[in-house]
Amino acid sequence: MRLLKLGAVATTAALVFTACSSSPTPAPSGGGGGGGGSVQEVKIGVDLPLSGGELPNGGPTLNGVKLAVQQISVPGYHVTVEAEDDAVNGVHDPTQGSKNISTLVNDPAVFAVVGPFNSNVAQAEIPVSNAAGLIQCSPANTNPGLTKGADGAALRKTNPTKIAYVRVATTDDIQGQAGADIAYNVVGAKTAYVVDDTETYGKGLADVFDSSFKALGGTIVAHDGAGKNVTDYTSLLTAAAAKNPQYVYFGGVTSTGGGLLRKQMVAQGMGNIPFGGGDGISDGSAATASSFLNLAGPQGDLNTYSTVAAIHDIPNPDAFKAAYKAAFSTDPGSYSASAYACTQIFLDALKAVGSNREAVRAFVTTTAHKYDTVLGSISFDANGDTSQHIISYYKFDPTTKDWAFFKQKDFGTAG
Amino acid sequence: MDFGLLLQQTINALTIGAIYALIALGYTMVYGIIELINFAHGDVFMTGSFVTMWLLTTLGFQGTIKDPLTLAGVLALAFLVAMTVMGAVGVIIERFAYRPLRNAPRLAPLITAIGVSFILQNIVQSIWGPSPVSVPQIIDVQASFRVGGTPIRFLSIFIIVLAIALMVALQLFVGRTRLGRAMRSTAIDREAAQLMGVDINTTIALTFFIGSALAGAAGVVQGLYLGNTVFTAGFQAGLKAFTAAVLGGIGNTTGAALGGFVIGFIEVGSTYLGYTRWSEAVVFTILILVLVFRPTGLLGQQLAERA
Repeated sequence: MRLLKLGAVATTAALVFTACSSSPTPAPSGGGGGGGGSVQEVKIGVDLPLSGGELPNGGPTLNGVKLAVQQISVPGYHVTVEAEDDAVNGVHDPTQGSKNISTLVNDPAVFAVVGPFNSNVAQAEIPVSNAAGLIQCSPANTNPGLTKGADGAALRKTNPTKIAYVRVATTDDIQGQAGADIAYNVVGAKTAYVVDDTETYGKGLADVFDSSFKALGGTIVAHDGAGKNVTDYTSLLTAAAAKNPQYVYFGGVTSTGGGLLRKQMVAQGMGNIPFGGGDGISDGSAATASSFLNLAGPQGDLNTYSTVAAIHDIPNPDAFKAAYKAAFSTDPGSYSASAYACTQIFLDALKAVGSNREAVRAFVTTTAHKYDTVLGSISFDANGDTSQHIISYYKFDPTTKDWAFFKQKDFGTAG
Repeated sequence: MDFGLLLQQTINALTIGAIYALIALGYTMVYGIIELINFAHGDVFMTGSFVTMWLLTTLGFQGTIKDPLTLAGVLALAFLVAMTVMGAVGVIIERFAYRPLRNAPRLAPLITAIGVSFILQNIVQSIWGPSPVSVPQIIDVQASFRVGGTPIRFLSIFIIVLAIALMVALQLFVGRTRLGRAMRSTAIDREAAQLMGVDINTTIALTFFIGSALAGAAGVVQGLYLGNTVFTAGFQAGLKAFTAAVLGGIGNTTGAALGGFVIGFIEVGSTYLGYTRWSEAVVFTILILVLVFRPTGLLGQQLAERA
């Protein structure tokens, strides 16, 4: 069982014939499940930020799951999506995330969970899903400590050998390298100023940027931490401007200050200095309310770069885009395809071993399995991390007022 | 030491301090007259910033206004609207949430104040959503003049001068007018003031109006300065401003203004020294030290004779 051809064929076919928008019809009976035509109701749980400022992240990601469930039928099963929102007052919340994962664990129909989106939410969820043996696949988590090393082991100490968390996004140790690659090689900056939001994701990303930029030969003029309560970056930027950085890097997400920082740079006469960040600021065009580009404002978003810890040039982009557009009337988000891939993997497992949670978990985390997904061929290593180490590079396009993809780079076996 | 940088950071500290000071005045005035810590005051400020955002976007302004006359007109309108609306909101809050409890145990209005704070937050959240929103920065944020080669922004100078002007106007009003005298006498002894013919209800309502109008002005200033607001902004700023009021000596308007600027300097100073993460810890450590060694604050409570 090297390559799950069946799933691949079904997927490609489904992608070509765009999804019908009517309610999902029960899967045809009499398939691989055998039996006299009874259809079992099962659910894929979803935990994402689905309200407020982070809806531009969570919404298109949830749609990726819905699209996969619409398109791929598993004989003998009727799959529905059970979505939970982990945003509280518009900001992703680890406590809410752990409540949500408990809700999903307690629903016997849920056989697998797609999510979460944010690394600090994953930190709160992994111990719960690990103890329950319910497999989780995150389309977007990038913090290395969630899976790797002592930090990763500490999160799954209830069942150390039973990995219950995998991800199709690659990690920040690679995304941070990519950020430094943009600053040093694409922009040509030799000095950089770094700000992080002191959170799990933001600080982790900024620290890797910091060390990678130095490794490339650059100089970090200062590295400051400013939590999400900071709204006035003026004094930080005044101090930084005096050191004449050629690049500013932000480790964090829009809701913890990214857009505000970029906007206030303009007031300090730093509007022309190129600015970069990770996937946390890649959250939609300037027309999207509360997105990074929207808050950064008309002058603040020139010369701005971001990365996404996922492949951009997916093997069959037009089919995916068309199918997505037919179903939801908009273009896919940065992590829609990743969520689709997570769902594909779960549906492959459902097809192969049925809906028993432990069987699905064991199947998905078997390192020898390769999945032919919408992102390309993926397998998971012993920690549950994806074999695909590709980062996509984006730059702000002043004409479309949106992020424009310009390059993707495979960091191969690094990290 | 780089003189230019020091000068710029001093201006930054004065600017943010001016915003804290404007909010702190409302805390201290209300405490002075009815000994209530009005925890909803920070949210009055936050609502003021949303009213400004709403006004400017409704009028169709997106960014900088170039024409000086138009700019002056729109600024005057923004301050007028935000201060009047927030002043009225303050009076309404006093009338319905605090007046019925004026003779109740002190804890009761305190809890009510926390409730009002949540009500304001939830109203704003339901109208404008939970995420940060952009406020049109109608004053050019980059326009500056140079002092010995160091750029100083007009916006900062405008904010500092405006805040000081409002504070001076408040001092003159409280110190030199009949209504101001009524406020002072009510603060010193409510019953005696009443016996002397002061209308207590009107006087207290007036205090709320002025304090809330100043918070509304701070809301306009915050929008112009940061270009952004969020429904939780009142909590942070309110806490800092309340600290400023206590630091300066609660009940003392000069003290509140001084306290605001002191906190601005502490915040910017900790950033200047590279301890941004610690700025809040430093602010509250200094507050604790001041309260231990000078329990009545830096300038002392003006109402000491009452205790």
